[in-house]
Amino acid sequence: MCSLFLHYICLMDILSKLQILSGAARYDASCASSGSKREGPACGTGNTSSSGICHSWADDGRCISLLKILLSNDCQYDCAYCVNRSSNFVERASFTAREVVDLTLDFYRRNYIEGLFLSSAVMGSPDKTMERMVRVAETLRTEEQFGGYIHLKIIPGSSSELVRKAGLYADRISVNIELPSQASLQRLAPQKHKEAILAPMALIGKEIASSLVERKTSRLAPRFAPAGQSTQMIIGASPENDFQILRLSQGLYKKMQLKRVYYSAYMPVSDDNRLPVLAAPPLLREHRLYQADWLMRFYGFSAEEILSDDAPNLDESFDPKSAWALRHPEFFPVEINRADYGTLLRVPGIGVTSAKRIIAARRFSSITPEGMKKIGVVMKRAKYFITCSGRSFEKTDRPAALLRQQLLLGESPAPAPSTQLVIPGIFS
Amino acid sequence: MNRYLYDGTADGLLSAISWILEEEPNPEIVALAEREDTLFEDGFFISTDATQAEALFFRLRKEAPDAAHTIYSFMLAEKEGMESSLLHFVSLAFIHGDKVNGYLTHPAVREIVGIAKKAGRELHRMKGLLRFEKLHDGAYLAKMEPDNNIIQPLAYHFSRRLRAQHWFLYDVRRRTAARWNQGTLQFGTIEQFTAPALSDDEKKVQALWQAFFKTIAIPDRKNPRLQKSNMPMKYWKYLTEKQGE
Repeated sequence: MCSLFLHYICLMDILSKLQILSGAARYDASCASSGSKREGPACGTGNTSSSGICHSWADDGRCISLLKILLSNDCQYDCAYCVNRSSNFVERASFTAREVVDLTLDFYRRNYIEGLFLSSAVMGSPDKTMERMVRVAETLRTEEQFGGYIHLKIIPGSSSELVRKAGLYADRISVNIELPSQASLQRLAPQKHKEAILAPMALIGKEIASSLVERKTSRLAPRFAPAGQSTQMIIGASPENDFQILRLSQGLYKKMQLKRVYYSAYMPVSDDNRLPVLAAPPLLREHRLYQADWLMRFYGFSAEEILSDDAPNLDESFDPKSAWALRHPEFFPVEINRADYGTLLRVPGIGVTSAKRIIAARRFSSITPEGMKKIGVVMKRAKYFITCSGRSFEKTDRPAALLRQQLLLGESPAPAPSTQLVIPGIFS
Repeated sequence: MNRYLYDGTADGLLSAISWILEEEPNPEIVALAEREDTLFEDGFFISTDATQAEALFFRLRKEAPDAAHTIYSFMLAEKEGMESSLLHFVSLAFIHGDKVNGYLTHPAVREIVGIAKKAGRELHRMKGLLRFEKLHDGAYLAKMEPDNNIIQPLAYHFSRRLRAQHWFLYDVRRRTAARWNQGTLQFGTIEQFTAPALSDDEKKVQALWQAFFKTIAIPDRKNPRLQKSNMPMKYWKYLTEKQGE
């Protein structure tokens, strides 16, 4: 069956395959290795640490924690936004299961990685592909006694039996939602269907929940994806506004119990006329979405508090919390020595760490303005919104327009792209 | 204000603290420093008692485990001239328990917790940045030059992770080493280090990792500043992926 071209692929060495298949995997945003704690098998290799560990940082500044590769980039599908779409002319390659297993172990033993993140293009059928991916995880866990982190991507449309098997071997599994609405999915990824994406998500959510229940009664009950499930969607390739996107994420967190939703700014990898022409990837938008996502997961905000139908997009010049604070002058000033944790978290510039520090420090004595600096709270934005034992730092009753201006000018000169690219870390 | 001296060892420090906490009604106004053998040095010397040192740490671990962990991390930093702060921290820890870690408006607490955090951060970082090389006899060796003396907790981390491997950690600057083989962890010093030969396939695996490192970055998002702030250049010396840069 080998044509001349295919024959070349058959003989391709590991190095070239690795280059092709890691290059094809780099647009996957997730690299988290957190949320799972496993003691390593006595005669095997590897354990997992609940906080996750970054092993390196790539030239784009993103953390490298896992060996992130595709099993194959030889895709049957033709999704417009994807570099691996069947109509694109790129070099194709596929790993054997053994090759991936050996690479993972060779890298793990030298402490290059925390584990494996395996995804794949659709070869033949979803089930055929998923089966080959599960076989890699199975070999690592059972034959090689590998105790490190495994993240498996679920191919939409694969059977529930394979999804269940994947969850038993992997720490985290994820189904990519790809685009924020069914209309966009239909237009840009005609071979992927909403049901084929949502069905495995719901199944995974159910399996995780029942495994947690079973493990309460028996410690020997098998774990199902102990680090939970995540998903990813592409931002800027389709016309949805930020409000739609945040409400979708909120639903995924609340109804499907997802651990993380990743947003990936659309990188022009194709000149398909179904796609928008962008001067540059919408990195700032992606950054603001992550900030808003954080507000929903750790700060007690709802999507409806952050945005509304009248103002459906995130402000580019302000972080979403500052934008909320500017719309709600009645909430401020917040008294540092009395406000509860949830209220402190609503102050721009005060994050989870600062709020916890304030609460820990005021047990000993009330905090003075100097004390705020001593415990390490950054006052740049917070000072407009707080009082310390009744003393304010800045006049807190200034008109909103003036406050807007001061918040903007008070910030350091135009933030360099570097601060916008942080894929908020592995500590999810 | 009373001034006390100790012999400069970790045991000496802890036993001195233990002695002062027992004898001094208000440790907050007491100073403690390492003895320097000069004629005019002023202060009362407390001799070292290893059992007392151990007893103090044991008691603290029972009464305030988080504070004991702070002190452990602080000791990894091998900072000199901060004995008085440590004394005050320990004294506060016995009064307030684990809550003391949050008493950041107190200067001694802020100092000790700050240094402990830094050491803890480097320990966490090295768990990721350490690189092993496979040697010709099948053992693995990792060299490092961390700011803090973290070889002990680091070796403990890898003893749970790379259990089936025979490996060495080597702190090049302090000349200390750790060795794990068949379930036993040992520590020692190395007087004369000669680089052992690498295994035949080692360079090949390294080339694979270097290739992966290059291709995994999204070219349109190149960001050397962010890379360096997450992975300071002082660690590049032993990073396989940063060789030849």
